[in-house]
Amino acid sequence: MFEKILFATTATPACDHAAHVAFDLAKKYNSSLHLFHVFGLPSHGFGQQVTDVRTGKADDYGTRYVEAIKKELQEMYADEIGDNSDYQIESVIGVPHREVLRMARKENADLIVMGAHSRQEEPGATRYRSVVGSTMQRVAKGARCPVLIVSRPCTTCLWYFSNIIFGTDFSKASYSAFLFAYQLAKEIGSKLWLFHALDISAMHAGKTLEQDEIEAQIAKAKQKIKDTYVSQMTDYDNYEIDVLEGIPYVEILKYARAKNGDLIVMSHHTREVDPEQALLGSTVEQVVLRASCPVASVNRPDKVADLKLTPQADATESEGG
Amino acid sequence: MAEGKLCNRKTVDTKEYLNALLADKSGKQYYKEMEELDVDTDKLRTTLKASLKSRLRTWLEICAHCGMCADSCFLYLANNRDPEQVPSFKIQSTLGEIVKRKGNVDNKFMRMVMDTAWSKCTCCSRCGSFCPFGIDMGIMFGYLRGLCFSQGFVPWELKIGTGMHRIFRAQMDITSEDWVDTCEWMAEEYEDDWPGLAIPVDKVNADIMYTLNAREPKHYPEDIAEAAILFHLAGENWTVPSEGWEQTNLAMFAGDWAACKMQVESVYDAMNRLKPKRMVGTECGHAHRSTVIEGPYWAGLETGKTPVKSIHYVEWVAEALRTGKLKIDPAKKIKEPVTYQDSCNYIRNGGLKDISREIMSYIAEDFREMSPNREHNFCCGGGGGFNGIGRYRQQRNAGLQIKRQQILDTGAKLVISPCHNCWDAIRDMEEVFKDGIRWSFLKPLLINMVEVPEHLKPED
Amino acid sequence: MYEFLTGPAAIAASGIFFIGLIVRVIFYIRGLHWQMDRVTYTVNVSYGIKGALRSVIAWIFPFGSVGWRAKPGITFMFFIFHFGLLFTPLFLQAHNFLLKERWGFSLWTISDPAADLLTILTLVAAFFLVLRRIALAEVRILTSVYDYVLLAVTVAPFLTGLLAFHQVWNYHFWLMAHIICGEIMLICIPFTKLSHIVLFFCSRVQLGMDFGIKRGGMKGKGFAW
Repeated sequence: MFEKILFATTATPACDHAAHVAFDLAKKYNSSLHLFHVFGLPSHGFGQQVTDVRTGKADDYGTRYVEAIKKELQEMYADEIGDNSDYQIESVIGVPHREVLRMARKENADLIVMGAHSRQEEPGATRYRSVVGSTMQRVAKGARCPVLIVSRPCTTCLWYFSNIIFGTDFSKASYSAFLFAYQLAKEIGSKLWLFHALDISAMHAGKTLEQDEIEAQIAKAKQKIKDTYVSQMTDYDNYEIDVLEGIPYVEILKYARAKNGDLIVMSHHTREVDPEQALLGSTVEQVVLRASCPVASVNRPDKVADLKLTPQADATESEGG
Repeated sequence: MAEGKLCNRKTVDTKEYLNALLADKSGKQYYKEMEELDVDTDKLRTTLKASLKSRLRTWLEICAHCGMCADSCFLYLANNRDPEQVPSFKIQSTLGEIVKRKGNVDNKFMRMVMDTAWSKCTCCSRCGSFCPFGIDMGIMFGYLRGLCFSQGFVPWELKIGTGMHRIFRAQMDITSEDWVDTCEWMAEEYEDDWPGLAIPVDKVNADIMYTLNAREPKHYPEDIAEAAILFHLAGENWTVPSEGWEQTNLAMFAGDWAACKMQVESVYDAMNRLKPKRMVGTECGHAHRSTVIEGPYWAGLETGKTPVKSIHYVEWVAEALRTGKLKIDPAKKIKEPVTYQDSCNYIRNGGLKDISREIMSYIAEDFREMSPNREHNFCCGGGGGFNGIGRYRQQRNAGLQIKRQQILDTGAKLVISPCHNCWDAIRDMEEVFKDGIRWSFLKPLLINMVEVPEHLKPED
Repeated sequence: MYEFLTGPAAIAASGIFFIGLIVRVIFYIRGLHWQMDRVTYTVNVSYGIKGALRSVIAWIFPFGSVGWRAKPGITFMFFIFHFGLLFTPLFLQAHNFLLKERWGFSLWTISDPAADLLTILTLVAAFFLVLRRIALAEVRILTSVYDYVLLAVTVAPFLTGLLAFHQVWNYHFWLMAHIICGEIMLICIPFTKLSHIVLFFCSRVQLGMDFGIKRGGMKGKGFAW
C-alpha cells in the first residue's frame, strides 16, 4: 500500500507519536522507511553557518556535523527501529518544508508522516507554530502524496482503525482526499464517514440564514456527496453521510469526536502565499492542533488515484455556495 | 615558498579541493595554515606594476587626509567613531602601505590587510560620494581584495565561493540538471493554483531571459515559482537558460577576477545562444552589479554593455506596473507603514533610485523613506560578502546597528528589500536585535496584490 | 638677488610648475585603462561628459554637493582657504605690476585692502584647518608630518607676503622670503599632492565618467558623484 514512507521528524519528543505510527506502518506494509530530519536553517548569506532548528543556535555546517546528527537520530529512534532493516536516515540543511518536499519528490514517497504539538499551551508551542507549524502546513499543501500528521498517542494501529472521517469542501483537492479515505477504509475495513460542514460564516457574510434555507443547503450538499463520492464506491456500503452547518474546523472536530474517529482525512488548499495569513486561515492546521486522532491531508491525485475508478467529470466542480 | 594544503595561492578548480575546504569545519585548518602562508612579494610587485594604474595611484597620492569620508562610513559610525574605521585610514594603511613598500610585506601584514578588506569595508562606495576628490575607496578595496586573493589571503567562505563558481558556474553546488529539475518541480507544485504556469527552459528568441541567485534553487525555490507566476500573469514570453542561469558572483567579493570572467561569460553565452530580447535578473544587488554593470569589462566587451539589454528585477516590475501588464488591486495595497532598503549595488552604483520609488507609489499607501536614502543610503551592513563570513560575524553584527536605527526611525515594521544581501542582513538583524521587523522581496508581496485575470484563475 | 629671484628663478619655478602639471595630466590620462578601470571612456562619451561636468561643477562650488552640505563648517573654511590661495596671488596689484613690467601684460586686479583681507582670511582658515587636524580624532589619525609641511609650504608665501606688504621689521627680508617661498611652492606643486590643482579635475572627471557611463548615469537622473 505504501512502498515508501517518508517520516519527517523535528527530532524532538513532539514527533514521538508520529515516529511510532511511521515505523508501525512501515512494518505492516513492508515499506521502506526514510527517516528525515532538516536540522539546520541556512542563514547568513552564502556562509556555511546554519541555525540549528531545535536549539536556535548557530553552528558551522560540515560533514561531521551531519554525521553527529544522524547518529543522534539513530539512537533516538533505536527502539522504534528494532530489527527493521529497510530504513535510511538522512539529515540535511535547508528550509524544512522545502527539503521535506524535495525529498518526497526525489524518493517518490507514497506517504509522508509528520508530528505536531497537540496543544498550543505546551512549552515551545509558539516556536513550533512559527517554524514547524508552517512546515506542516506547507508540506501538506505542496506534497503530491498523502501527509499523515500525528500529534497524539495513537492507541490503535492504523490497520485496526474502525472509523475514518472524510471532511470535504467539494474542491478538486477534496476528491483526492476522498480517494485516499475510501481506499484506506476499504483496505482495512473501517467505516467511512463522509462529512461536509456548511460554512455559514463565509458563505453569507452579514446575512442571517433562515433555518429552512440552511436545511435546503444541507440537503443539496448531501446529494452532492452522493453524486460525487458515493457513486464512485463499488462493493462498499460501510459509510454514512452527514452535513452540518457551522465553522468548518469546529464542526469537523465535533463530528470526529462524536463518531470516535480514528483518522480524519481532508484536503488542504489555500492560495495564500503569506505564511502568516495562511496559518490563521487554515482549517487543516486548526484540526491538526485540536484533533485527538491523526489527520491525513491529501491534495493531489498522484498517489491515490490508482483505485479502479473512473474519475467523474463534475468531481472538480466547486460548490460555489 | 610555504603554502598550505587548503590555504594557498592556488585557485579552487577541482571538486576534491573544494570538498577538502568544505570538510574543514569553520575553516579552522585553513586559517591556521594562513598564518604560515608566505607572501610572494615578487608576484605582488609585478601585479602592482601591471594593474595599479593612474586612477588608483592618484587616489592614493592626492588624498588630502581631510577626514571628510569618516562620517560617510557606516562602519565608522557603528564602531563608536573609531578613527581606525575612517575609510581613508583603512585604505592608506593597507593598499597605501603595500604600494609604499613596493609589495615588500609579510604574512602578518597581509592577514591584517585581509581582515581590513573584508571586515572593515563592504565596498558600498558611499565614501566615494563624500570625498571632494572623488576618491572611491570601495573601488580601491575591490582592487585590494584582488591582491589579497592572488596571495591566498582570502576568507575561507569566499575561497569556497569562488571554487563553486569555477566548478559549477554558480555560487552553490547546483548542476544544470538540478536546476532544470527545480524548474520542473516548481511548475508542478504551483500549476494547480496557477493554471498554465510553466517555466520554459532554453526557449530561443524569448522576450525575457531570467537569471537568478543560486540560493533560490538551493533553499528558496518558491522564489523561482513566484517569478514564474508574475511573468505568467503579466503575459510575458520568457525563459530561463539551462546553463548560464546564475547571475550572482561571489568571485567579485573574493577578488578572483578570472572566476568573475568565467561566471559572467556563462551568462553571456546563454544570451548569445538563446537570443532573448533582454535579460531580467532577480532581486539581487550584487548579481546585477557583477553581471550587468561590471561583467562586460571582465569579459572584455568594449561597449561596456551585456550582449543583450539587461535590467534589474525592479525595472521589470516598475515597467509591468506602469504599462498595466500587472495590475494592483487597490484594496490590497500595503496599508501599514513600509520602508525600502536601497541596495548600494543597484541604487548608488546602478542608478535605479527613482524606479524603486515608482514601484512604491503603486503598491504602498504609507511609504516611509529612510534617512539618508537613495544614492546616499547606508549599506545594509552585510554587503560585499560581509554577511557570509563567519570569521567576521561580530563585526558584521556591530555594523548592522546603523541600518537598524534607520529602519526603526521610519516607524515602519516592514522593509521591502529587493536584494538578497540586504534581505539577509535584515533577517539576521532581526535574529540579533529582535525588534519585530519583517522583511520581504517584492515578489511575494506583489503576488498578494495583483489582480488575477479571470482566464488565469484556477477552476476551484 | 631680487633680479635673479624674479627673473631666471621665477621662470624656472613657473616652468617646473606648468610643465610639471601638464606632465601629470598627461601621465594621468595615459594611465587610464578602460578595462582595468572598468569604464568605457570612449563609448557613450556624451554620458561621460555629462557625468564629468556634473561631478566637477557640484564639487567646485561651495555647498554644491551633498558632501559639502554634510559638513558646512569645514566646507566654509575650505572654500575661503582655496579662494584666498587662488585669487590673492593672481589678482594682487603688486604681482600684476611685476607681470606687466616683465612680460608686458597683466590681469584684472583687486585693491590692496581686499588682498589684505583675503590673505588674512586664508591664514585664519589655514589656522583652523590645522586646529581641525589636531582636534578631531578622525583627521588626526590620517595626518602625518608631510601634511603639516605641505600646509606650511602653501601658507608661507602668504604669511611672508603679508609681513612684507606691511613692512613689519625688515621689508627686504620678508620680500626675499616671500619670493623664495612662492617659488618653492610652485616647484613643490607638481611633485606633491598639491598637484591636486589639476589632479582634482582629473579624478573628478574620471569618477564622473565612471558613474555617468557605467554606474547608473544612463539610468534615471543620477546624482553628483
